[in-house]
Amino acid sequence: MKNSSLRGLRRFFNVSALTFRLWDFTGTAILNFFIWIAVLLYLSPLTYMAITALKTKDQLSDVTSPIYPAVMEKFTYQGSVYDVYNVPTDEGVKQWALINKYRTYSEFIDPANPGAGLIRWDGSWRILQDTYRPSITFANFKNLWQSIDYPNKLRNTFIVVGLGELGMFLSSIAVAYGFSRFRIPGGRFLFFLLIATIMIPDSITLVPTFVIYTRVLGWNGSFLPLIVPSFFGNAIYIFLLRQNFKTIPRDLDEAAMLDGAGPLRTLISIILPQAVPAVVTVGLLQFFNAWNEMRMSSLFLGTRQDLQTISFSAQAFVTFGFTPEVLQASAIMLMAIPVVVLFLSQRYFMQDMIVTGIEK
Amino acid sequence: MRQREGLVGLLFLSPWIIGFILLKAFPIITALGFSFTNFNMLDPAKTRFIGLTNYLTFFKDTAAGASLFGSIGFFVLSVPVEMFAALGLAVLFSSQRLKSKLLLRTLFFMPSIIPAIAIFFIISGLTDPGSGWINRLILTPLNLPPLIGVGAMFPMILAVWTIGPGFLIMLGAMQSVPPEIYEAARVDGAGPIMRFFSITVPMISPAIFFSLVINIISAFGGVALLDRGLPFNISLSPMEGYISQQMFSYSDLGYASALAWVMFAVVLIITLAVFSSARYWVHFPEEADNEEF
Repeated sequence: MKNSSLRGLRRFFNVSALTFRLWDFTGTAILNFFIWIAVLLYLSPLTYMAITALKTKDQLSDVTSPIYPAVMEKFTYQGSVYDVYNVPTDEGVKQWALINKYRTYSEFIDPANPGAGLIRWDGSWRILQDTYRPSITFANFKNLWQSIDYPNKLRNTFIVVGLGELGMFLSSIAVAYGFSRFRIPGGRFLFFLLIATIMIPDSITLVPTFVIYTRVLGWNGSFLPLIVPSFFGNAIYIFLLRQNFKTIPRDLDEAAMLDGAGPLRTLISIILPQAVPAVVTVGLLQFFNAWNEMRMSSLFLGTRQDLQTISFSAQAFVTFGFTPEVLQASAIMLMAIPVVVLFLSQRYFMQDMIVTGIEK
Repeated sequence: MRQREGLVGLLFLSPWIIGFILLKAFPIITALGFSFTNFNMLDPAKTRFIGLTNYLTFFKDTAAGASLFGSIGFFVLSVPVEMFAALGLAVLFSSQRLKSKLLLRTLFFMPSIIPAIAIFFIISGLTDPGSGWINRLILTPLNLPPLIGVGAMFPMILAVWTIGPGFLIMLGAMQSVPPEIYEAARVDGAGPIMRFFSITVPMISPAIFFSLVINIISAFGGVALLDRGLPFNISLSPMEGYISQQMFSYSDLGYASALAWVMFAVVLIITLAVFSSARYWVHFPEEADNEEF
């Protein structure tokens, strides 16, 4: 609710200004509190991921271990390392190091006072719980770095992403410009066709595309199937850019044309500077799509380990038999760069994406 | 002059036109051709015309029918959830009282760009019988049997985590509604709910329609705005998984093409229904320069 209607309410109920301000403040606080709770819940699987990736394998296999990353408390006594347990005694729970394990009783040392000697405690040590202290480890990331050739995978990903961006910039922007600024015979029909191609499921073009790429063009085991299509324009990017170009007033580009600027020059020096958020948005969409791409890779790069991108090669981690904490670390490594890119560009990303009608 | 403009325009369109012919029209027609043959990858020499046999096989193939219903079921379950969650979130974000909107917007959008394989790892960890949070924090304290495997959780999380693009499109549309309209409605005594249904919804209906279209495409396994990189074998659309199984496991390209055409027909019917319903609820703004074409 806007302030004006609240003011009306206030006059109606004849509440004092202070009550009104309190109510206004409470409402704002409740809304903001609610949305932060919602975002925490929404991202809770990512919290799990981040916390688990910093845990040790030992901690993960102990179901009584704390939720946060921690390591077992150890105590060195007379040159040997012993585990520290939570021992219930008459004077409360004590953290003692277990020295001698027997069936019905055990002997402990109090780490705070080792000089006091062995303490006898009756009961089975197996029911005792380990003590943990908070501690994080980067061993999972190190483990991953050693088992996968990351520099190679990153290089492949950047080739696919970079050339895909180049293709998108060269084609989609030009086509969107053509659709937004020129009177083309049959232009309406072509635009309808463009929208129609967005709706065509991939599986229909999959079989012939696969046959053509492998049998006719011999592109099996190369980057080409991942890159070449982007040079022919992507229907949805063209649509989004065209919608945005249409909102840019024509006066400036007509003036530039009268000054003798050609259409290409007009596009580069007049249209593009005014369409930065839209171009950034489409560039980012292309980036995320190329980064996550899996289908074309699985068709054409399945046997070429040396050409696989980060996301695609991660598929094999399941067969490596990685335990959860290493898998969480790998999930972080997979998404870190796209997430950083998203945060760096949040001011532009999808800010100007006002979609007004598809049937135009 | 006008002819020259048309030619220059066509020159700018040429990458897409060539791409359309080579990457869309030609493969689609070829797929139709394949669907009437017994084309098998392992033995291409034996390929011959077999008429409608592949399509008749589909009607007898219960696994194919089940996968088609699975695809439609996923569409029916996931798309409304995605649409309403995105719309609700956009409404909250259009409140003046909400602070740090830019950060929150990015946080809500963030899961939409996470690679599918990373989500798969996260869920398999979350549902791990020993250390997974679902079992440790929710099921064990409630004395419920442990949940094992990624199965049901994966499509659920994937659907809930895909509201990002729809949310931003609808939010952008809401922010572009002129405030004077709300002001006028308020003067006339319209409450917040009335204003939402009689101003916000009609004004942003093109954005709702656009989000609906991209959600339909992704529900059937296509890629509209954002690709998560779902491999064929864990596709959300069971029909698509079945088609790729026919293609890669049995190398039966003829049957796979016929199945793809069946799926295309189903998607086409749904799309046409959505597009023709648009006339009744989507308010397309008048375009000033409509006569240019």
